[in-house]
Amino acid sequence: MTVEHPALALRGLAKRFDGTIAVAGVDLDVPAGSFYGLLGPNGAGKTTTLSMAVGLLRPDAGSAQVLGHDVWQDPVTAKRLLGVMPDGVRLFDRLTGAELLAYNGLLRGMDPAVVDQRAAELLDVLALGDAGRTLVVDYSAGMKKKIGLACALLHGPRLLVLDEPFEAVDPVSAALIRDILTRYAAGGGTVVFSSHVMEVVERLCSHVAILAQGVIKRVGTIDEVRGGRSLEQVFVEVVGGRTATGEELSWLSR
Amino acid sequence: MALPVSADATPAAPVRSVSARHFVRLKLRVMGNNFRGQGWRIALFIGGALLGLWFAAGGFFLFAAPGLTGNGEYAVLVAAAGGGLLVLGWLLLPLVFFGVDETLDPARFALLPLPRRTLVTGLFVAALISVPVLAVLIASFGLVLTAWSLGGWSAGLTAVLGVLAGLLLCVAASRAVTSAFATMLRSRRVRDLAAVLLAVTAALLGPLQVFGLAALREADWARLAGVATVIGWTPLGAPWTAGIDVAQGRVWAAPVKVLITVATLGALLTWWSRSIESAMVGAASAGKAPVRRGVADGAVAQLFPRVAGWARRDQFGALVAREARYWWRDARRRANLITIAVVGIFVPVMINVTGGDFAAMGEEGFTAAASDSSPVVVTISMLFVGVLASVTLANQFGFDGSAYAANVVAGVPGRVELRARMTAFSLYVLPMLAVVGVVLSVLIGHPGWIGLTIGSLVATYGAGLAVNSLVSVLGAYSLPETSNPFAMNSGAGLTKGLLTLLAMLASAVAAVPMVVAAALLGDAWLWLALPVGVAYGLGAALLGAYLAGDVLDRRQPELLATVTPRR
Repeated sequence: MTVEHPALALRGLAKRFDGTIAVAGVDLDVPAGSFYGLLGPNGAGKTTTLSMAVGLLRPDAGSAQVLGHDVWQDPVTAKRLLGVMPDGVRLFDRLTGAELLAYNGLLRGMDPAVVDQRAAELLDVLALGDAGRTLVVDYSAGMKKKIGLACALLHGPRLLVLDEPFEAVDPVSAALIRDILTRYAAGGGTVVFSSHVMEVVERLCSHVAILAQGVIKRVGTIDEVRGGRSLEQVFVEVVGGRTATGEELSWLSR
Repeated sequence: MALPVSADATPAAPVRSVSARHFVRLKLRVMGNNFRGQGWRIALFIGGALLGLWFAAGGFFLFAAPGLTGNGEYAVLVAAAGGGLLVLGWLLLPLVFFGVDETLDPARFALLPLPRRTLVTGLFVAALISVPVLAVLIASFGLVLTAWSLGGWSAGLTAVLGVLAGLLLCVAASRAVTSAFATMLRSRRVRDLAAVLLAVTAALLGPLQVFGLAALREADWARLAGVATVIGWTPLGAPWTAGIDVAQGRVWAAPVKVLITVATLGALLTWWSRSIESAMVGAASAGKAPVRRGVADGAVAQLFPRVAGWARRDQFGALVAREARYWWRDARRRANLITIAVVGIFVPVMINVTGGDFAAMGEEGFTAAASDSSPVVVTISMLFVGVLASVTLANQFGFDGSAYAANVVAGVPGRVELRARMTAFSLYVLPMLAVVGVVLSVLIGHPGWIGLTIGSLVATYGAGLAVNSLVSVLGAYSLPETSNPFAMNSGAGLTKGLLTLLAMLASAVAAVPMVVAAALLGDAWLWLALPVGVAYGLGAALLGAYLAGDVLDRRQPELLATVTPRR
């Protein structure tokens, strides 16, 4: 029944904060089984868009559907299909990694035995087993990202929405996260993630959308968006970055 | 404080040297920018300044009293005790209550090429620009008036010198101690511990004050004067008593006391400049927590603490377990629990034991006691404790901050969420309330009233839970996500105060039936109070969770937005 629906469908999502428009009507269709990169400069509205898509922030207008279930009309079903790793949001970090996973699993209504088994596996694969009884608040930035990913994966969601999964992560952890995400997508899951690291997006994604000033500027498969050039060139052109002419800041070279 | 600049230094020599003047201007500018477009902040500042002036005037007349009355007998006592309290206050109050004025945070100067001397002098002078300093200055000039009226202009002048030195001492002491603490508190574990210790200290201040006053009433004044003389020779009292010494003919003492003060001041500034350096470069290690090896248990078994071991391993159980862990592991929450425990015992004991002679009447026997109005007083004091305990939950979601997003993403039903939070909090509070009930009824000499005390406590606590769960959903506000346990959100204080007051009033009103019953039903109530109170409390709490849970379901994202601190 859910096969014909896109994994994530956004229609006219809009949000303004205190008079400034953060997101001005975003339409997006994420095909099931795709690896979708949401690109944009700082302040483009990536986090706002994703927060509205997963039910963390109520949109001023528009709708979001996860595999055909409206996130705001039928949150229970939609949230069951969703795994989310928000950025800039704390975890319940006075728990240990294992406790945090158990908490999230039970909160999702999972069977305790399954929670135990999956938590052990995730901690092992993500190399967090050594942390033992260390509280998450004492984890390093990379470890926090990894335990956040584990929390999002634990209940086996059909759609994974990750906000900046590669921010502040060292290359070793990044490779591990990339590996797990690739495996998850190969197994039929759908991944949507935001980033401004072009290399990662180019290497991983099947589809890309470029967001700037709260609007989608380019969207399509990665080859369509690139059009034979490098993704970085397209991105800078679309976003309208300034290129130095060489005249100003001349005192920098002495 | 000219910067020593050698002209032939390789990097371009600074055109102008930095002096304390720049720090003063910077501080004034930062203060001014804080007010920009924030009417309520200006109002708060003016309110604070007026309060400061009020206290300053009070202090002035206290210090000036020996001079104004022309009675020199207690002059040393007033100067030494008052001045000593001032210094102690400057040392301790920033740690316990107010936080440090970090308008100019030393860490921000770390990258600037400033000699340490310049930095310390600049920060010190900048620290002098504040309302409390002005207030202390005004107050301490009462001492000058005393010295002048008792010993003429020479004593007055000495007092001016002493008072100014004393003021510098106050500021230097507070800066040095908070800076040293801040360095120590870099590690989270030490910080949590310190927050709890400070909470205990703060909670104990009230009781200590009462005992102190009681002790004063019976004290031997002559002996106190002797103690004051000794204090006058310590850095605590030296600057304040110098003028009085001249007035009373001990001219030789004044220079010695000024010397003591200046030496202390120098030592404090040196200490401060040391700790500033380590605060700037972060010399203290981040305090890596010891890695405790995981036990062989599964993840689920690890999540559930022993107090919540009975809970089913489902959504409700997970929430209870996590909350129970948080009430213990989160220093902010633990500090609240400690406050409840200390105040919960102290206030009813004060009201019932020292406040009335009911207890004495009660000694004669149960029938005599039952005929007086005491059950009403006891119920009212229990009402206070119950309300105080439950009002801790008025901003329960604020404790979570943005971490609450996990529950929103998981789609936890509001009723389950609120019931679980109430349950977890009650795991700690109900035993405490039981102890309060038993201890109080024994202390007032009516062990038979245990039913009454516990019944009233549980009833008010339950009604308070109901009110506060609604308040916590509708009136949540964010708490600062900071590493400094002394930091507060300026402005949040006022909101918090109003909200807390509202919640306490509503909870108290909800518990009024218990007082009415105690007043009307007489003897029978002593037996009925326990079952009726427990049923009333439980019913109220469940009803509150039912109603507030519905509201929570409709505004989960909005609640998340209000408790997420703005960066």
